[in-house]
Amino acid sequence: MKILIVDDSSTMRRIIGNVVQQLGVPKESFDEAEDGVVAWDLCQKNKYDVILTDWNMPNMNGLELVKHIRSAGSQHIKTPTIMITTEGGKSEVITALKAGVNNYIVKPFNAPTLKEKLDPFFKK
Amino acid sequence: MSMTQEEIEALMNDTPTEPENAVDDLLAGIEGIVESSEEDIEPEEVNVDDILAGIDGIVDNEPEVESEEVNVDDILAGIDGIVDNEPEIESDETSVDNMLSDIDDITENTIEEKEEAMLPLPSSKEHKIVNQLNEVAEDTEEKASQIFDVLSFILDENEKVTKSNDASKEFISSQIELLEKLSNKFPNIALLEENLKKAKEVGELTTLTTEIVNGENNKIFEAMEIMQYHDINRQKIERVMSVIRKLTQYLNGIFEDDSNKPEVQIAKHISGDGSQTVDESDIDSLISEFSTDN
Repeated sequence: MKILIVDDSSTMRRIIGNVVQQLGVPKESFDEAEDGVVAWDLCQKNKYDVILTDWNMPNMNGLELVKHIRSAGSQHIKTPTIMITTEGGKSEVITALKAGVNNYIVKPFNAPTLKEKLDPFFKK
Repeated sequence: MSMTQEEIEALMNDTPTEPENAVDDLLAGIEGIVESSEEDIEPEEVNVDDILAGIDGIVDNEPEVESEEVNVDDILAGIDGIVDNEPEIESDETSVDNMLSDIDDITENTIEEKEEAMLPLPSSKEHKIVNQLNEVAEDTEEKASQIFDVLSFILDENEKVTKSNDASKEFISSQIELLEKLSNKFPNIALLEENLKKAKEVGELTTLTTEIVNGENNKIFEAMEIMQYHDINRQKIERVMSVIRKLTQYLNGIFEDDSNKPEVQIAKHISGDGSQTVDESDIDSLISEFSTDN
């Protein structure tokens, strides 16, 4: 199981990483990226089983990243992607779902929420 | 308006979260409460005379204060005595003058300080609001990362404690098993029974240690979750920074001078500005003072 965590806040990446570790994923099995550009670069080099991304980031935001991931020719076109963001508006949730995210978590979240969202992908 | 996780779930499942008329029902309910509460309250007529009479009664009931004749001279004498014991203040005209000049200095300094405080700060890097906010955001990010390091360290150490505790637990379990067998085989040896009891007590302690460490870990995970507010607050700061940037652009645009008219020198003191402007007599005296005799 290889996971990509994308967030411009290093604290958030560590928090998410911590929950992922609690689910039994070793630290070596997840990569981190501080923006969409770095994440997209990693996506082209590696194959991930799950992508967890923030929305508001510099250089390339999470929504653009999701669009890249879902674009034709991408090896991650079907990779489960979860948006973890402070954007809590209904229109934003719809926009993200239309862009291709599989699930959506509003910050602040708790570990059980993220576990619940990740569980189905872990069981596959 | 921000959505809750439940609402997002509902949105993803295409199910309505609440009936549309729920708010109307609530409002109707609230209106009903307001109306009924308004109906219940009846204005009571208050008899002011009764109240005044009551007050008069109280005043009348007060015990009469007997006017005692006091010897004012005695009191004054006492006061004089106190005053007499005080150190004598030498009347020194120069010291009063010094005090007055000190007061003037203090007043002038205060006015200058106030003026300085009101002056706009130079637009250097340390006074630019966006720069300051950015610095706050970056600094707290760094500090949050350091706090996370500390929490991670405690988690790692707790894991070591758990591992060594588990090893102790395993050993004690085997000891209990052995002592139970020996105790059953040699029931007459009291020492075996005693050691078995002690081993069971230590076994319970290891279980307690595991519980404490697990509880600590849970609290650390909770603290880590709370640290998400750092990111949320950072984004709030970034929102303020964005507003300031837009406002700066807007103000720059609105105050921008599109005309190619060269900037003229502005007057420093215009009549009516205040005490710094001169009048006719000032001018005349200045002319007479500075004019050269030809």
